[in-house]
Amino acid sequence: MLIFNSISVPLSTPLVLKTTPQRNAVVLAQKQQQTLTALTNLTISDEALASRGFALHRTINKLDLDHLNSVFVAVGFPRRDTDKIRVALENSDALLWIEYEKAERPVAFARATGDGVFNAIIWDVVVDPSFQGIGLGKAVMERLVNVLLEKGITNIALYSEPRVLGFYRPLGFVADPDGIRGMVYSRRTQKKKR
Amino acid sequence: MKIGNVLSPPPASLRAAAAAAAHCRYPYGPWPHHPILAVSHNHITAFMQQQQLPARHDKMENRLPLSPHHILHAGCRNAKVSRLKAAFWESIRSGFMKNNTIQVTESPSTIQEEEEMLPDEFVLVEKTLPDGVVEQIVYSSGGDVDVYDLQALCDKVGWPRRPLSKLAAALRNSYTVAALHSIRKSAGEEGSADKKLIGMARATSDHAFNATIWDVLVDPSYQGQGLGKALIEKLIRTLLQRDIGNITLFADSQVVEFYENLGFEADPEGIKGMFWYPRY
Repeated sequence: MLIFNSISVPLSTPLVLKTTPQRNAVVLAQKQQQTLTALTNLTISDEALASRGFALHRTINKLDLDHLNSVFVAVGFPRRDTDKIRVALENSDALLWIEYEKAERPVAFARATGDGVFNAIIWDVVVDPSFQGIGLGKAVMERLVNVLLEKGITNIALYSEPRVLGFYRPLGFVADPDGIRGMVYSRRTQKKKR
Repeated sequence: MKIGNVLSPPPASLRAAAAAAAHCRYPYGPWPHHPILAVSHNHITAFMQQQQLPARHDKMENRLPLSPHHILHAGCRNAKVSRLKAAFWESIRSGFMKNNTIQVTESPSTIQEEEEMLPDEFVLVEKTLPDGVVEQIVYSSGGDVDVYDLQALCDKVGWPRRPLSKLAAALRNSYTVAALHSIRKSAGEEGSADKKLIGMARATSDHAFNATIWDVLVDPSYQGQGLGKALIEKLIRTLLQRDIGNITLFADSQVVEFYENLGFEADPEGIKGMFWYPRY
């Protein structure tokens, strides 16, 4: 079976193989503009968050993993071992969480893994159900994307459940761009051609 | 002779032991009886005793039929083998180089049956070329990829150039870098080997839950032989062995089928891959 001589996963410049140098320059300029816009425009400012009693954090310092785990469970994730969660957070390229100061608990969270230069994937985006709908999810996502952009990572991806595609789209995320499909390995689905 | 009883059952279950034993059967018929293998058997036993592997390995040595493939699995059960691998395979290779043109191919694996530890580096394929040169394709997951070699390989497959320093950083920051190298030795010549990078795949991970495979490439002159498939299969096994439960990737439309055949599912349960302002 012939394996195609082409990219099987996107790079930081994923889909520009067939374009001319001029078009490359235009596309690059567009991306730079988008990056600049994202970096400067936040839907809800840090001050607005603070005035409503929410504190922004960018490290796992002071993050209670059991509280975080209960937020994960509240939104439907399986309960995971907190030691493993700690390892995952320590090995993430960036993370952001919002604390509701009055309760001293995390109410929104997102993190990203990657190689630190080309690609990043965003995981575990959650907002406590009692705090959904007021812009906290957007707040963590916009800031997380900014952190990645500031590191020079422009290939930012994530896996979205079908019911929250509409949450990610206004943030600038596009599903299956140019036919690229997100795939997950499953030990049960192995159709091997021998 | 019942192979199934020979392997010490893994901590898991008898079913796993049976499955592992089934895998150990040479799939292309009875293992050819070849004089060189008789020599290697003693060689291997001596080697293993020298390395002072636990007693159960000696017992396995006495009962298993002769096959480097079996030896690979016997050795694999002990994590120490990864450290012994280089010397071990060198001693086997020197036996093969001198006398014959036998082709040693690791049989295709079904991942769910594999319970044995995968060593960090091993020979996937070995063959003798028409001019007498012996070529081995070696898989390694230790991340020993020269960034200049990688740059050259990326050029060969037509990928846009990326800064070397960034490439190096990307490799450093990847959880696993799996590579295929072609090692060519002229028949009878010891010591002078041509080593060439012919394939690579890397995975980033949070070391606990998720891993994502990026940058899968195989040298065009080595494509079409199943090497890409083997590369991904072994990378998956390496990741599973490190207990990473969720292995993901993003595939161009024309290679979705390739990954489906390796056990990947596109849009499982409708979950969609999304990219931030992708460039078209």
